[in-house]
Amino acid sequence: MELLGRETRERFGLRSRSQVGILLLSLVSVILLLSSLYSAEASVFKKAREAAIETASPVLELLSVPIGWLSGRLGAINDYFRVLEQNEALREENAALRQWEDEARSLRGVITALEELDAYKAPPPAKPVNAFVIGEANDAYAHSMIINAGAKDGVLRGNAAVDERGMVGRIVDVSSNAARILLLNDVQSRIPVFVEESYVEGLLIGRSTAQPTIAITKLANGDLIKPGQRVITSGAGGVLPRGLAVGVIAAVSEKEATVDLAADYARSRIVRIINYEFPDVEPTPLAASGASAAAAELVAPGSEAPAAALDVANLPALPPVAAPSVEEGD
Amino acid sequence: MSARADVLVRLAGAATPAFLGFLGVILLASPIRLAGGLLPTPIIPLIIVYFWSLYSPGHLPAVSVFLMGLLHDLLSGGPIGMWPTAYLVMQQIAISQKAYFLGRELRVVSIGFAVAAFVVSLILWFVMSLMTATLLPIGGLLWQMLLTSAFFPLFAMAFGRLHRRVVIEV
Repeated sequence: MELLGRETRERFGLRSRSQVGILLLSLVSVILLLSSLYSAEASVFKKAREAAIETASPVLELLSVPIGWLSGRLGAINDYFRVLEQNEALREENAALRQWEDEARSLRGVITALEELDAYKAPPPAKPVNAFVIGEANDAYAHSMIINAGAKDGVLRGNAAVDERGMVGRIVDVSSNAARILLLNDVQSRIPVFVEESYVEGLLIGRSTAQPTIAITKLANGDLIKPGQRVITSGAGGVLPRGLAVGVIAAVSEKEATVDLAADYARSRIVRIINYEFPDVEPTPLAASGASAAAAELVAPGSEAPAAALDVANLPALPPVAAPSVEEGD
Repeated sequence: MSARADVLVRLAGAATPAFLGFLGVILLASPIRLAGGLLPTPIIPLIIVYFWSLYSPGHLPAVSVFLMGLLHDLLSGGPIGMWPTAYLVMQQIAISQKAYFLGRELRVVSIGFAVAAFVVSLILWFVMSLMTATLLPIGGLLWQMLLTSAFFPLFAMAFGRLHRRVVIEV
């Protein structure tokens, strides 16, 4: 076999390309890195990202068609070999779901009755936007997806994205025809969550591994968290609606609890963006004046930055008004 | 062929590596899930940077490498400047080791790529851990680099043919 570059080797050394360019551009890269360290959400970077996904989205959309077809075929072959065990698993799941259906039907009856009594106020209807996943960061340290819906379709920054199993992430960049979802396992992801059964409020933090973690603090009764408990979004911060399925507690250590996510990132091809408007706050007589002021701040509708959601979980408890959805009434 | 068309064809030939690099970055941003998401997508732009920096750095100037990295960062949503750094380090490694690798067998060049990819992963991991102020896992990154190295010979052979036919000979 002819070896590539042999003839170049002979005259190598005569012509040394200047490495000044590489050095200079490396310096520029490092400066960019440092500046994104100090101003991660700098508007210039944000605009550049949005412009990039907007420009790339037609190409990505075009590419995702054959890719989707191909992985559909490959998936079908895979399924063929596992048809028996899958059948068994589906049968079991079906049985469990039937019980849930019964429960849901009876609960719906209760809700109708309560609605007639005017004792129940329905949460404001969410306006979901369905979108295809046309891009995905295949990086070790960046976990995000690009979808083919944007500002034109009513997608807003901070909206929650769910697939048929549970929450996928939240929207961080929006251009007119595309948007980026920051997945829950990204290192930048912080989502206020609520652990059912133990009634613990916490912050779900991405760790760049498959399982994000909830930091356990004494203040928030973190020691009550046990493996197997369901984790849902808490609605704190006024950006995400309460009650979206996030996952199940997998393991608990002294400092943190790891969470098995409900969403399956390897399978989600269609996601639903939940464009949710928080209800206006009416201060209840129960809430002390200070608490209601804090609550008003918390649930301020259309509060701009997801960053606002971050600080909120440090507050000791969620004010009663901030929970408009399913987990409320006892 | 008129002189003008000749220049155009030459230009297109010279731009092929950069074009392939951008295509590689776009492919990296598309939802390819090898083996149902079990295998990470190989980082083809890294192969392209290494290959052309070794055999014909004149066809892949540092500016193209930088722009490839920038596009990668913009599409993946990671901190800006991370992948330009990684790709430029790769280019620097390849150019500095040129004297050794030119004219060697593919086996040797592939091992060289694997070592360079390992160094790049260490730098990426270090920078990202520093930036997030947490000790990030490095396993996933090494696994992705290992897979990329496994794909290297295949791409190197294809690029070798392309290089002879399109980039130099027109």
